Amino acid sequence: MADKVSTIFINGTEYPFKEGQTVIQVCHENGIDVPHYCYHPGLSIAGNCRICMVEVEGNPQPQISCKMQCAPPPWVSEPLKIQTESEVAEEGRSGVMEMLLVNHPLDCPICDQAGECHLQDYSYEHGGGKASTSTAKTKLPKNVPFGEKIVYDAERCIKCTLCVRFCQEVTETNELDLGGRGDEEIVIMTSKGEFETPYAMNIIDICPVGALTSKDFRFKSRLWFMDFAPSIDTSSAKGVNITTGGREGEFLRIEPRYNPGVNQWWMSDEGRLGYKFVNSPTRVKAPLVRGENGELAEALWHNAIDAAGTALRASPGDVLVDGGCTLEEMALAQELASAMGAKAKFAAATGEGDDWLITEEKGANAKGGEMLGLARAKRASAAAVLMIERDEHVNASMREKAGAVVVFALDMEQVPDSAQVVFPMPSWAEREGLLVNIDGLVQAMERNQGIGPGNLTPPVELLEELIGEFDDAYEWRGREGVIESIRAMKAFEGVPFPGDTATAEVGA
Amino acid sequence: MTSTNGAPVSPPEAVEFPPKEIKKECDEIVARYPTRMAACLPVLHVAQRHFGGWVSPEVEAGVAEYLGVSDSHIRGLLTFYAMYNDKPAGRHEVWVCRTLTCWLLGAEKLRETALAKSGCEKPGMTSPDGKFLVKNMECLGLCEAAPAVFVDGKPHVNVSNEQLEKLMDACE
Amino acid sequence: MAKKYPETKILSRNFGVENSWTLDVARERGAYKSLEKALEEMTPDQLIEEVKTSRVRGRGGAGFPTGVKWGFVPKENDKPKYLVLNADESEPGTFKDRYLMELDPHLVLEGCLLCAYACGLSTIYIYVRGEYPLSIERLEGAIEEARKAGFIGKKVLGKKGFDVECYVHPGAGAYICGEETGMLESLEGKRGHPRIKPPFPAVEGAFGCPTVINNVETLAHVPWIVEHGGQAFADQGIQPDPDNPKALGSSGTKLMGVSGPVKNPGVWEFEFGITVKELIYDYAGGPLDGREVKAVIPGGLSMPVLTADELDVKMGFDDLVKVGSGLGTGTAIVMDDSCDMVEACENIAHFFADESCGQCTPCREGCHWMEKIFARIKGGEGTPADLDLLERLFINIEGRTICALADAAVWPLRSIIRKFRHEFLAKMPGTDAADGEDPKAAEAETVGAK
Repeated sequence: MADKVSTIFINGTEYPFKEGQTVIQVCHENGIDVPHYCYHPGLSIAGNCRICMVEVEGNPQPQISCKMQCAPPPWVSEPLKIQTESEVAEEGRSGVMEMLLVNHPLDCPICDQAGECHLQDYSYEHGGGKASTSTAKTKLPKNVPFGEKIVYDAERCIKCTLCVRFCQEVTETNELDLGGRGDEEIVIMTSKGEFETPYAMNIIDICPVGALTSKDFRFKSRLWFMDFAPSIDTSSAKGVNITTGGREGEFLRIEPRYNPGVNQWWMSDEGRLGYKFVNSPTRVKAPLVRGENGELAEALWHNAIDAAGTALRASPGDVLVDGGCTLEEMALAQELASAMGAKAKFAAATGEGDDWLITEEKGANAKGGEMLGLARAKRASAAAVLMIERDEHVNASMREKAGAVVVFALDMEQVPDSAQVVFPMPSWAEREGLLVNIDGLVQAMERNQGIGPGNLTPPVELLEELIGEFDDAYEWRGREGVIESIRAMKAFEGVPFPGDTATAEVGA
Repeated sequence: MTSTNGAPVSPPEAVEFPPKEIKKECDEIVARYPTRMAACLPVLHVAQRHFGGWVSPEVEAGVAEYLGVSDSHIRGLLTFYAMYNDKPAGRHEVWVCRTLTCWLLGAEKLRETALAKSGCEKPGMTSPDGKFLVKNMECLGLCEAAPAVFVDGKPHVNVSNEQLEKLMDACE
Repeated sequence: MAKKYPETKILSRNFGVENSWTLDVARERGAYKSLEKALEEMTPDQLIEEVKTSRVRGRGGAGFPTGVKWGFVPKENDKPKYLVLNADESEPGTFKDRYLMELDPHLVLEGCLLCAYACGLSTIYIYVRGEYPLSIERLEGAIEEARKAGFIGKKVLGKKGFDVECYVHPGAGAYICGEETGMLESLEGKRGHPRIKPPFPAVEGAFGCPTVINNVETLAHVPWIVEHGGQAFADQGIQPDPDNPKALGSSGTKLMGVSGPVKNPGVWEFEFGITVKELIYDYAGGPLDGREVKAVIPGGLSMPVLTADELDVKMGFDDLVKVGSGLGTGTAIVMDDSCDMVEACENIAHFFADESCGQCTPCREGCHWMEKIFARIKGGEGTPADLDLLERLFINIEGRTICALADAAVWPLRSIIRKFRHEFLAKMPGTDAADGEDPKAAEAETVGAK
């Protein structure tokens, strides 16, 4: 018997494949675009949308690449020869596109998916460009609530069943099923009307069209007006990779970002919706200094830094930081504390978790804090400096009882009466930095220019300024320099950082 | 649960299923298969027969609980298979075959007769007086004696309009 | 006049016999003799070989060699193995299996038991369409009788290691459940969405276990094959074409039926070899008085039509393929000259649109779309471009889906619009055909089909 075939020709180029791989997988691995709707690498193969058709040499009919094994049948000793751009393949796809649009409402102007809709994209690339039908479209239910957070439109739905399979295979909670038959087929929900799974909103992301939209994000913004940045979900400590989306200062949405080692394609609903506090109308937008009248008043940045230095020299003490502060911020907090002859601690809430992406540890960088050697503040105690992002970490009792004179706060509501100087704390979406997830993985988040008040001096810079207030010889290192000194620490020996190698992947 | 306009609707309260009259029958069906889900189709036939010719949301929920599947799975079956009714059925159910052979031999007239006689607005609907449910069915497999109708689950073949009227007249 | 093609009475030997469905009558007439013989004299492998020798092909429509199918069942496998008897008979115009189930359920059971013995199967599910209440009743009665008589249960007829259970599983009204993998889904209590193959049912079928799926009529042949030997079966009917490896021949006998506007619709059994014409004129009595045959779909609804000029062809698997149609279920639907082919197309397209499971895009959207186009042409709003559009849709539907329902929709419709194009043009305002001119000339003028 001949050797097993281990390569496949795609558009004339020979590629190796691993046992069990399908044609679409090898195409995608090698950057060859094959459109797909019902295929998702994290779910079972349904093979129903038919858009991923390619030409297989020797077969007059195009074949779906999502189900097709790269390995030829056992009696064939030659590698398969696939064409993804040939006339046969293109004709097959445009035929499917036409079918998909026969009953589609074509309501792109009012559809949230516009701009990230595979139906739109592929129609542009593979569609015929003109309609062949003037027949009436099938009427199906619209604006159907799937629980509190999701809205379903059966007319836009292409019945790819990704959402159904997600609830069956990933969460195993089976809230969704198919109902009806033929062109009246629709997705239906259990009569409870609410998802058991705390991961339901992932079905919005995997929906290739605008059939499932987020109630939270519906009609808020066109995508092409928004800014996006890669970041990390800081609602728990798993380090779920996300993309933040904002527009003109407003935080509008969070979507998961693929990371095979952390969250794959998914995130929790809690993390996804956990951005609301960032849009608070009472955000601290400028440095504040308490005047002689006892009121906090806006001040220039350098005046506020001077005032903070004065206040801290007068009453030095511990630095208590939010468990979601970055590694760089925590390291500098530690240096500031030791400059004052005190200690840095971090505070982080704990709560309910599951065995997956929701951790009991809620401090997104609690692990980083521990590695740096910061103690975990269990209860309220005295501190001179507070860094507060989320209410739940440096909680109300800690804030009130610390007696801190310098406070980094995101929201005016978080500022204790003791504060002499208040610096605006940008939210995590507005900061760049490193977080160590609960499994010890160091990951980077980037700043989204479209979120937050803007013009906020990064806490890293302010911390360096404050250290300088105590140490005349302090040399500014910038974020990069701080990272270098962190990497030199024993606790971080051999720990990969983003950008080192593929192991500390920031996402695909 | 929420309705389409967002107003809260409480989920249906599951009936106790199976009721004692059909418990033995249902348990025997379940025992035939390696999974409980596999019993769905035959158990739904029994349930529909027992509960007045249709499967209400409450019965749907009861069957779902009994067979350990979600109620949407049951609804998926009710809306996929033509023989189940997920809306109140008439006291009598008339099926008129509409597929090619019966159509060639006058099924359209039979359907019109059934609709006119029952007062049903269109196939798939129950008459206003609740007496008849008239359904358009695809091939009933009685082609050598077309056109064919079923009245309350019983086949009638070579049916003329007059015969269908008589059959329906005989329904109480 | 030539001698009438003779009827045969093998499968149908008990049709018309009083109480033929009861065990007493059936046993008097030889039921379960073959099962006894097989259990006493044959190993399972010998039985499979005998069925292979018979060259019996599946009677459900696809015509796959049954013995080969049985041979696919893996021997080294600890999982339970199943027989799912396809008694869904949802193909329009088809009613032959109903005769077997209603009139000779013990023959059907005996066939099932022989299959179970040959392939090492432990449970038989007979998937009967819900629209066949009498078939369900008779089969359930027969199973009960057979169980009491020791043909079903532990140690069938005392044979150690041969335990088999048998149940009727009623369908609930879905054409697609006649497709073997749609049937498996339905058996498992799900919506009848066909599965992608591979894996094939013989390896991974019902409940993830090896499964044989055969048509009722197919298995009903097996007792005779056991009794008389595979070669005796193979010697009957139409032999394979030695020059064409795809032409596997049509061995044995077949229940053939005719429905539609003919004088004597019904079902008869013949050794393969009768022509469509002989079947329709000599047995079904030909068209009604004053009418002419216009078109015939030779096997169910899902095959291309033959015109009245094309009927001199044998009702055989390969013979009908040769003329661009297919045997299908072997039950013909006749359309006479009163039939409006545009309306017939609308009716056919409606059937497939109604019965499409909704899974694959081309079928879900395409079948309904075709129906709408035919409705438009019927309403006098069609144009010749609609026929080109239909031809394009046929290309984009046929062979582009998981199962063959979409192909089944395309075949009759495409053949009708090609063979009766003038009838379509005649309904299109502005065409010569609509103005009453020579339809052939009008046809030549319009853009031809691909």
